[in-house]
Formats: sequence, structure tokens, C-alpha cells
Amino acid sequence: MDSALFEPSLYVVKGMVIMDNDGNRLLSKYYDKKTFPSVKEQKVFEKSLFQKTVRANSEIIMLDGLICLYRSNVDLFFYIMGSAQENELMLLSVLNCLYDSVSQILRKNVEKRTLLENLDVVMLAMDEICDGGIILEADANSVVERVALRTEDIPLGEQTVAQVLQSAKEQLKWSLLK
Amino acid sequence: MNSMKRDKKDEEEGGGGGLFSSLDKTTVLQEARLFNETPVNPRKCTQILTKILYLLMQGEELGTREATDTFFAMTKLFQSKDIVLRRMVYLGIKELSTVAEDVIIVTSSLTKDMTGKEDLYRAAAIRALCSITDSSMLQSIERYMKQAIVDKSPSVSSAGLVSSLHLMASSGEIIRRWVNEAQEAANSDNMLVQYHAIGLLYAVRKTDRLAVIKLVSKYTSLAVRSPFATCMLIRIACRLMEDDPDNDSTYQDFLESCLRHKSEMVIYEAAHAIVNLKRTGARELSPAVSVLQLFCSSPKATLRFAAVRTLNKVAMRQPTAVTACNLDLENLISDSNRSVATLAITTLLKTGAESSIDR
Repeated sequence: MDSALFEPSLYVVKGMVIMDNDGNRLLSKYYDKKTFPSVKEQKVFEKSLFQKTVRANSEIIMLDGLICLYRSNVDLFFYIMGSAQENELMLLSVLNCLYDSVSQILRKNVEKRTLLENLDVVMLAMDEICDGGIILEADANSVVERVALRTEDIPLGEQTVAQVLQSAKEQLKWSLLK
Repeated sequence: MNSMKRDKKDEEEGGGGGLFSSLDKTTVLQEARLFNETPVNPRKCTQILTKILYLLMQGEELGTREATDTFFAMTKLFQSKDIVLRRMVYLGIKELSTVAEDVIIVTSSLTKDMTGKEDLYRAAAIRALCSITDSSMLQSIERYMKQAIVDKSPSVSSAGLVSSLHLMASSGEIIRRWVNEAQEAANSDNMLVQYHAIGLLYAVRKTDRLAVIKLVSKYTSLAVRSPFATCMLIRIACRLMEDDPDNDSTYQDFLESCLRHKSEMVIYEAAHAIVNLKRTGARELSPAVSVLQLFCSSPKATLRFAAVRTLNKVAMRQPTAVTACNLDLENLISDSNRSVATLAITTLLKTGAESSIDR
């Protein structure tokens, strides 16, 4: 079938990548062995993807027959790939979910340094958003709930004074910035 | 704050960034020996496990021997009660299950976690378990899988459904026995659970046309709440229409009703479907085109891209249908997204006239 129609399948996402501003891969998951059989193809694809998107701030691009959606902040680039037959808005919901979850996990400091400090939780979040190419969760709050951030685990009584002050500071800062 | 930060004091590593800047496979695998120590030090072990997973994500390949050793060391971490560490172990199991040997050794630990009390473990344990299961072992956890699918926690239910779908290829005949549970899950209030359930039901019944027709008519009449699930139904309905060109117009009505859906995702899905169906005539085309025309002026680049890409397809076949959108398309020629601009120009080449050139 030459159908340009969307295939009725739950396998929607072909890949998720987070890169830094030199185009180095920080985190990546590829779900489609056909399109990206090995690391070599992935790296080649990432390189051209990065070159095409580093200066164009426009959210969506077609590359090698794949739809790639992206978002960047400070020194991080977030990418979601899907097939050319895919519903772009579905992919967009995945991208937004990834970005917002990471943003919540890093307490709104979406940058390379904080990402590396919280790498474990971000990995868990990526795993919660997409399972083998199927969108598992599209709501950032649910994702963050499911990865169980450490500070939330500690009841208020057992947190150190410094931790409480820290979170109070953060909240104040954000209320002022709004 | 978190594990990594606290470690700054007691390790001479630089900041968090330095931790991952120059990792070496052999060193990290050496460090993994720490997993064998009792009691488990959750902070240190989480960090080492993160390093291993990070290396794998960078594209490092582990040999069978290395992977198996690491995997077995990792199984020792099941003694720990630390949530993040436990969840990282699940990730490690999934990543290494393709390379390491004898991975089924963790079956009982994972089965215990998937039937335990902690919701945060259960969903992730199901997904890890299904990544190491083959059809012979699937029989032994079938009961738990069925329970998981109808579990009231959405994350557990989704994990059960999605894992079942992954296993369709290798053990389809076992999964087919779970349709009743999947049907129950399809009535869930959770958007994603409903989507996963309908996706699984379709995968199971794909080859049985009558069953697919039943599936679509049941859920289209129920007015499914989840936009994801509705998109799935649109796709299935289109498949039915393509295979049988002279059927009645129930699906056509369903598609047109989706054009008035609340969610942009569904509206676009329906418009795209109508445009691409072979049987669509000029009369059916016009509401879809006017929806796409509206999307052309959306602030979301992705939505403009989707709309103009679809209009481009229409212009290939029926340029007259798109003429009404010419003004909107002209506005897109100077769009900040180059792909959108290019698509707009090529569409206009099909539909435009000389009058639009000097504008």
C-alpha cells in the first residue's frame, strides 16, 4: 500500500535525543531498528540534524524522511523523531512532555550542568514517556510523579533546614519572576 | 537535593558535569564491583549504574561477558529499598537484556515487585519483566499480567497493555487470550490507558475484518474521551474504508464529527484522513480544507507545518480545492520556519495565479 494515511499502530516515536550545544549526544533512545540499525547511523543522523537546527529556531524540520521536532534552552537541545506519515501534533505532545518533565525535574534550570547532576532521574523520565516507541505518558506532571523525585519522598519533618529554605527560596524566586 | 550533589563533598570528582565528561568503560565496569558489597550503598550504586547506562546511551558496546557480569552484579541491588536505585536497576535490566546471558535470573525478583504494594515499582517492574520474558515463561506470569491490565492504577494498566503489545510478535496466541481484560481497560477514564487498550485490541484483531468493524463501531458510538484513542480510531476507520470502497457512510460521518473535536490533534488527524482517502470527493474535501486553512495561521509552527504539508497533498490532486487558501499560503511564504515557507511556495505554484506574484 502506498498509503499516505497514518498507520493504525501505537508505535509512533522513532527516537528521542538530548544534545548539548556542541551537538554532543547527552541522552538518546532509538526505538526503530530498521531506520537506525546501529550507533553509526544514529551519530551521522544526529550530526546533520544538529547542523540544520542549531541556528534555526523553528520547532520542526523534515530530515531523511523523518519528522523531527525540537526545542532548545540555554545549552540543551531536545529532539523527537517520527516517521513522515506520523501525526505531527502527537509528536509535539511527546516533545512538550519531555521538555516539561525535564524542566520540573531540574527545577526550571534546564541546562547541561543541572541535567548531568540529575541524569538518573532524567533517564527514568525518558523511560516513563516512551516505551519501545509507544507513547506511555503525555502529561509531564504524571511523569514527574512516576519518577518520584527524591526531595518529595522526604516528609517535611525529616528534611534538613537547608532543604526547606532552599525550596522556599526557589518558590519565592519563581513567584517574583512570573 | 539529590544523590549527585551530595557526593561532591565526599568524592574528589569535579561538579556534576565532570562526572560524565570522560568516562572509560573498563573503569566504570570495575566500579560496578561495588554492587556486591553489603549493605548496599544506594547513593554510590545509583551513581555507578547511571554511569553504565550513560555509556550505553553514548553508544558503547558491551561484550557478552562484560554485560553478563554487570548484569549479575546488578541483581545484588535488589536488596536495597531505595526507590531511585531500584528503578535504575529496572532500566539496567532492560538495557542489558539484549546482550547479557541468563537474564531470566531476575524473573522472581521482578514478579515479586510487580505484585507488591509499591505502585512506583509495579509499573516499571512489569515493563522490565516483559523485556526478559519469552513465550514459555509468559505462561507462568499470565495471571499477573491479566491483573495488571485491569489494575486501577493507570501506570500499571498502561505498562501491562504496552508490554503485551511488545510481546505480540513473539507470543501472539497467549496475548489473544487477554482481550477481555483489554476491553475492560478500554473503558478507563485515563486518556493513555484507553489509547493503549484500543491499540492492543486492534493489534490482536487486525486480521479479522468483522472484529475490527465491531471494535470501531463500539468505540465511535461511545464518544471516546481520549484524543490519542480517537486518533487511533480514525486511523482504523480509514483502513476499513480503504479496504472496502463502497461501504456505507457511517465512518465518513465519524470523520466529519472529529473535525469538530476539542483537540487540535484529533481535528488534524481527521482532516488529514479525509484528504488522503481515495474516495474523498469535492464535497467531503471542503470542510477538511477549511479546517486546515484555519491551522495555517496558528502560532504553533508544528501545526502550520502539518496544515501546509497536507494542503500541499491536496493541491497535487485537486488544485481548485485549495485556491480558497491562497491568501493564507501567501502569508506563509515569509514564515520563520523554512520548511513551512518552502511547502507554501510549492503549493502556490500549483494553485496560484499571476495576480499573487506582485504581492
